[in-house]
Amino acid sequence: MTLAIAAVAAVLFGTGSYLLLQRSLVRVVAGIALISQCAIVTIIGSSLSEGRAAIDPEQGGPLSDPLPQALALTALVIGMGTLALLLALVHRVVVAHGTAERDELRDVDRPAVSEPEGAGRRAGDETE
Amino acid sequence: MSDATTGEADPSTDTQRDWQGWSCSAAAAAGFLVCLVGWLRGGGTLSLPWAPKLGVRLEFAFDGLAALYALLATGVGAVVFGYGARYLSQHLADHRRPRSERRRFWPWMALFAVAMVGLATATDLVLVFVFFDLTAVCSYFLIGFDRERREARTAALTALLVTIVPAVALLAGAVLLYATYGTFSVPELVERVEPGTTTTVAGLLIAVAALAKSAQVPLHFWLPRAMEAPTPVSAYLHSAAMVAAGVLVLGRVHPLLARSEVVLTVLLIVGLASIAVGGVLALGRDELKQVLAYSTISQYGYVVTLYGMVGASASGAAAFYVVVHAVAKSALFLSAGAVTTATGEDRLSHLGGLGRRLPLLAGATGVAAATLAALPLTGGFFSDELFFGAAKEQGPVLVVAAVLAAALTFAYIGRYWMRLFLGPITTAPAALSRALVVPVVLLALVALAVGVLPAPITQLAEDAGAVSHAAPVAMSPAYHLDLRATNVMALAAWILGALLLAATGLRDRVSRALAAAGDRVGPRRAYTASLLGLRRWSGRVHDWETRDLRSSIAAVLVPAGGLAAAAFAATPIAQAYSVGPISGTDWLVLPLLALTGVATVVAARTRERLSIVLALSAVGFALAAVYALRAAPDVALVAVLVETMLTLVFLAALARLPGTEPRRETGPRPGRRWRDPVIGAIAGLGAFAVIWGYLSEPREAPSVSADQIRLTPAAHGQDVVTVIVADFRGLDTLGEITVLLIAAVGVATLLRRGRLW
Repeated sequence: MTLAIAAVAAVLFGTGSYLLLQRSLVRVVAGIALISQCAIVTIIGSSLSEGRAAIDPEQGGPLSDPLPQALALTALVIGMGTLALLLALVHRVVVAHGTAERDELRDVDRPAVSEPEGAGRRAGDETE
Repeated sequence: MSDATTGEADPSTDTQRDWQGWSCSAAAAAGFLVCLVGWLRGGGTLSLPWAPKLGVRLEFAFDGLAALYALLATGVGAVVFGYGARYLSQHLADHRRPRSERRRFWPWMALFAVAMVGLATATDLVLVFVFFDLTAVCSYFLIGFDRERREARTAALTALLVTIVPAVALLAGAVLLYATYGTFSVPELVERVEPGTTTTVAGLLIAVAALAKSAQVPLHFWLPRAMEAPTPVSAYLHSAAMVAAGVLVLGRVHPLLARSEVVLTVLLIVGLASIAVGGVLALGRDELKQVLAYSTISQYGYVVTLYGMVGASASGAAAFYVVVHAVAKSALFLSAGAVTTATGEDRLSHLGGLGRRLPLLAGATGVAAATLAALPLTGGFFSDELFFGAAKEQGPVLVVAAVLAAALTFAYIGRYWMRLFLGPITTAPAALSRALVVPVVLLALVALAVGVLPAPITQLAEDAGAVSHAAPVAMSPAYHLDLRATNVMALAAWILGALLLAATGLRDRVSRALAAAGDRVGPRRAYTASLLGLRRWSGRVHDWETRDLRSSIAAVLVPAGGLAAAAFAATPIAQAYSVGPISGTDWLVLPLLALTGVATVVAARTRERLSIVLALSAVGFALAAVYALRAAPDVALVAVLVETMLTLVFLAALARLPGTEPRRETGPRPGRRWRDPVIGAIAGLGAFAVIWGYLSEPREAPSVSADQIRLTPAAHGQDVVTVIVADFRGLDTLGEITVLLIAAVGVATLLRRGRLW
């Protein structure tokens, strides 16, 4: 079981890293989502004891380790907040610059470089 | 010259006195009196805990060595600050800078003095390091005081780098000693340290820091550059602070250094080399302050040489030498500043014959110069007598070296004084303010007083030498009208020096040749080259790192992966991995994990944005089912909730984006097509090794969970996980909620085009 969980975590991490390197910002966000899934799986996999759910401990019997579960809860919720923020950023970038491709965004900062497209799309939406 | 006269007229009519300078001077004088009383009453120690677990204490001792350097720092400080109070106003007026710039000067000067007193009294090596660096920081701001000039700024940086980087060696040496002997306290180390490799290495490290600070060869080049500083700074830097800090540290840790022959030999060699290099270069310099700077290198070479010799007389002589040199050298610097103020010239070749116009200054400077040249009736005679005496104990080689060193000193300081005050007048001096002459006269009188009545300084030097030697030191400097060895050596030095003074051509040629050689292959060149190389390298790394997002990520992840790999290399991996048992519901978990893997791969391969979202939510829901089967219902429920929301959020965001990912994923160069998958595979394999090893750790360790399970009923809860989140780790949860709130505000702001409402 240890091996299986480790393997899945590794696949999640490796794929997440691959996506992180892509040009499209949406895929970058997906990569971050996968890496945070990897972290949660690892935390859950690291429980020190196994048994029934850690509810009503006075019944007795072995319980599954509650601490990693509490940590995983935190990670899940924070991960959701992060992803929502990232998606909002991507959305904002697309609205402002008309693209979610890193290569095209790189030229946005440089005013001297000619901007053949996007000028029309950006009309009325510039806040900077 | 006209500059000097107008500058003279302006501050003299000005009613606004430099109260900052005068109060610094008064505070230094008060400090001098306190130190004097403290010394006469026998000193004392103070020890307070600072970081007890690390063995670091705020440990101060006011012993002989501390008294000597504290008296120097405050005494010379009082005189120099008084001079500076007058000098600075004029300096600022000459450079057309507002008077408020004083605020950038005096606090640093005062801190310099405080740091010096702190360094003198500190006996904990970490504390020594702190004060050591504090003096370097002060010197940086003081040397770069004329910050509009590029030379001043680079000189300040050079002084800072050349003294602070080797100072790290001091800390390393201290840690090395602590690792072996368990204390940073110098007196305790003196009791415990045994001769050996550790002691030698630690001693060498400490010596490197001290020698760089004292501007010894080959790290001497920062000092002549530091002459860009205003004159009071130079005077103070060279006599009682900064440069003195190096030999102070040597004197403080000398009992440790003396346990290693290697360290002593290094000190001896470096000291003699510094005497020679500094002296020969001083012979040929044209700028006043440059001559004095090289002279300082040479003179501290004497002290380092003395510390390189073992013996009570050497330790005492070193302390005596420091006092006499500090008095004489600060007088010479102040006089150089006065000459430049009066004439507007700072080169020997443009000056001459000032003795007739400025007789008082010429006389006082003459006394200071005679002190360096070790003429009778000045303190210098006794310091050289002690130096010769110590050298005599070490054998004939050092006797010859000592005589040559003294001859060299005689020649360069004689040349300096004669060029300045004798001969025809080349630049007529303007009238000099008394405030610029009186300090020189005062210091010259001190030098004379030591020459007539050496007893107080001898007592001080004996006390200081006793600390450096870790045993009582007795010295009896006196005039003897006979042909004893020290007298013969002194005579020989004067005669040789006079000959050198007369042989102008030879002298100049040798000095110029050495200067040229130093410029071509000297350490200053190496310093510049290494600085430029570092900057180029840093620029290249920066350019690469900021090229695009990919390299920014790589700049973080590659070192992180390297660290993980290093941890693996250092950890035994035999039997560190276990496959783990599979039982009961695990057979249901396995297909779900397989589904997760497949969905993950699909998320990476698909071009459709919708498919990415669906694959992601497949991963999320499959994992939620895994959590449910692994007896974590809370996590499973939250995961289902979170995944549902995320899927919706993703879909909402994608509704605003074009539907398909562009095909051109490989970038411009087809050869790089496999680069990202390979990087991903390496990352995955690395994560696999780390996570598997981590999950294979034995599970029997005592856990905090047991306590939490036990305490849950007491917290009026049934679900342990809920109680942990809401109760045991309630503060964490509060922080988490705050993060969520901030994220929500961020999202709302972004969606509403930068406005929250």
